[in-house]
Amino acid sequence: MSRHVPRTGVRRYVNVVNLGGLLIAVCATLPLVWMASASLKGPREISATPPSPLPRHPTLSNYETAFARNGIGHYFLNSVVVAGVSTVLILSLAFFAGYALARLPLRGRGAVMTALLMLSVFPPIALLVPLFLMERQAGLLNSYPGLVIPYVALNLPFAVWIMRNYLSGIPGELEEAAVVDGAGPLRTALTVILPLARPGLFTAGVFSFTATWSEFLLALTFNGSDDRRTVSVGIALFTSQYQVPYGVIFAGAMVATVPIALLVLIFRRSVVSGMTTGAVKG
Amino acid sequence: MSSVLQTKTAGTPSKGEGGGARAGASRQSPMSTPPGSAARRRARTGWLFASPALLIIAAVTVFPVAFSLVLSFCEVRLEYGGLRLGSPTLAHYEALLTHSEWYRALAFTLGFTIVSVFIELVLGTLTALVLERLGAARGWILALLLLPWALINVIAAQLWSYLFNGGYGAVSWLCEELFGAQPDILGRPVPAMAAMVAVDVWKTTPFVAIVVLAGLMLIPGDVYEAAEIDGANAWTTFWRVTLPQLRPIVAIAVLFRILQAFGIFDLPFVLTQGGPGTATQSVAILGYRILFQNLDFGGGAAVAVTTAVIVLGCCLLFLRVFRAHVDEGGRA
Repeated sequence: MSRHVPRTGVRRYVNVVNLGGLLIAVCATLPLVWMASASLKGPREISATPPSPLPRHPTLSNYETAFARNGIGHYFLNSVVVAGVSTVLILSLAFFAGYALARLPLRGRGAVMTALLMLSVFPPIALLVPLFLMERQAGLLNSYPGLVIPYVALNLPFAVWIMRNYLSGIPGELEEAAVVDGAGPLRTALTVILPLARPGLFTAGVFSFTATWSEFLLALTFNGSDDRRTVSVGIALFTSQYQVPYGVIFAGAMVATVPIALLVLIFRRSVVSGMTTGAVKG
Repeated sequence: MSSVLQTKTAGTPSKGEGGGARAGASRQSPMSTPPGSAARRRARTGWLFASPALLIIAAVTVFPVAFSLVLSFCEVRLEYGGLRLGSPTLAHYEALLTHSEWYRALAFTLGFTIVSVFIELVLGTLTALVLERLGAARGWILALLLLPWALINVIAAQLWSYLFNGGYGAVSWLCEELFGAQPDILGRPVPAMAAMVAVDVWKTTPFVAIVVLAGLMLIPGDVYEAAEIDGANAWTTFWRVTLPQLRPIVAIAVLFRILQAFGIFDLPFVLTQGGPGTATQSVAILGYRILFQNLDFGGGAAVAVTTAVIVLGCCLLFLRVFRAHVDEGGRA
């Protein structure tokens, strides 16, 4: 950063970099603003030409329909349960596995880490058939565990990877002191390491929650019945007989997007560090 | 970049491989070397801590892939009580390999992957270069960039299907204003493919940009000073200094993106339903259709196995090539 010579004289705001930044911000957010605006438009205005950026007669009727007739509230609750339970399970399992892989002498650790990296990007379609048959056999289709189990397993590799990278950066002296004090490995992990692991847990948690909140393929095939649908399935299958009801879809989409957007914005540092963890850190 | 290097070297106790950056790992090598019951007990605790996670992962990934393999080589009959496996057969693979639909799906998926990841890499690098030079606004723009990335795929697809809609979609309307004709974006094969690439680029360029930005921040300033002293201009500096330094850091991000793009399902499912015709039918969409429209579990398993083989092959190849680069870089 230090290599850029500071601008001398009058600081000019109109330059290539600032214009580029403005363009990036507009490209990223304009479609989202458009969606928010369209969710407030009535049925005539939403299909009007030319399209107007802002609703002329804002109405909440789309939101009423989404809740009252399309059951977005119900899908939302399903998503909260599935993503929430999955995330808690992922974090507790990933903490111990990451601690073991970072701190304890394991033979074959290199192979395990490579396998985890590859599994963390494995396309779910390759697992769809056997998982579907296994869940059908076990009677898990259209149930919460039917989604939570595969979600935990599929998001664990990345979470373990993050936790391992984070924990291997914590100085070893603290741990050694605890061992000298006579603490067993479990107590050392829970009382010494866990409090220090918070940033790593935030990163792994935000990624797990976002991924499970958004997942579509497994949710569609395993939990297709109306009472167990998550938001992504619900919104994909929002249709009516004659016309795609975009206003209602966008109202539902806003309901599904606002919590995840807030989460990502609040924990933006964690998100950025998670994105770069495979590449830069550790 | 040392993280991937680390995965290869961490298992071997030889010293001096990880380099100075790996303070945490190198610190524990003295712990792992002393023999005796204490070390063995620590190792046992380690496996005890790691095994719940590893067992669940194996149960939901490794075991099903093996199950797929069996299914794909057997006659499968769907009966009331469940599946019945018949005699071994190659018919599923034969059907797949003689069926032009599979080749078309594979070609579309590969083309989509290559084109979209390439565009994302170029735009992501440009975005990162702009962000690096921005002052106070950088934090704000970074935060805004996370929004499309975090948007549910299905919602992004619904949103863009509205914007592309012939008649009242904003993109279609804009095209009409500019070129005088309403394009049928999602109704013709090539524009539909381009539209899908555009949505993917909109949604995932932020990820690439953030990784590249992190890479840019890691390049030490004296490298640039040296280039400046040598009289290199900005263009030469970018190609000769910045890009080579970025390469290892970007490599992993590209691997992630390639595999993610290869498994694409949500976007075509909602945006085009694989159409028009089968123009935008990805491998995942084809597998889904074979499975749930034709109820052909053996055929679906064959798609699953071929996909897994392609993906694993790409991963191994990539890690090999990539490790070679790291070694070169380390020696230079």
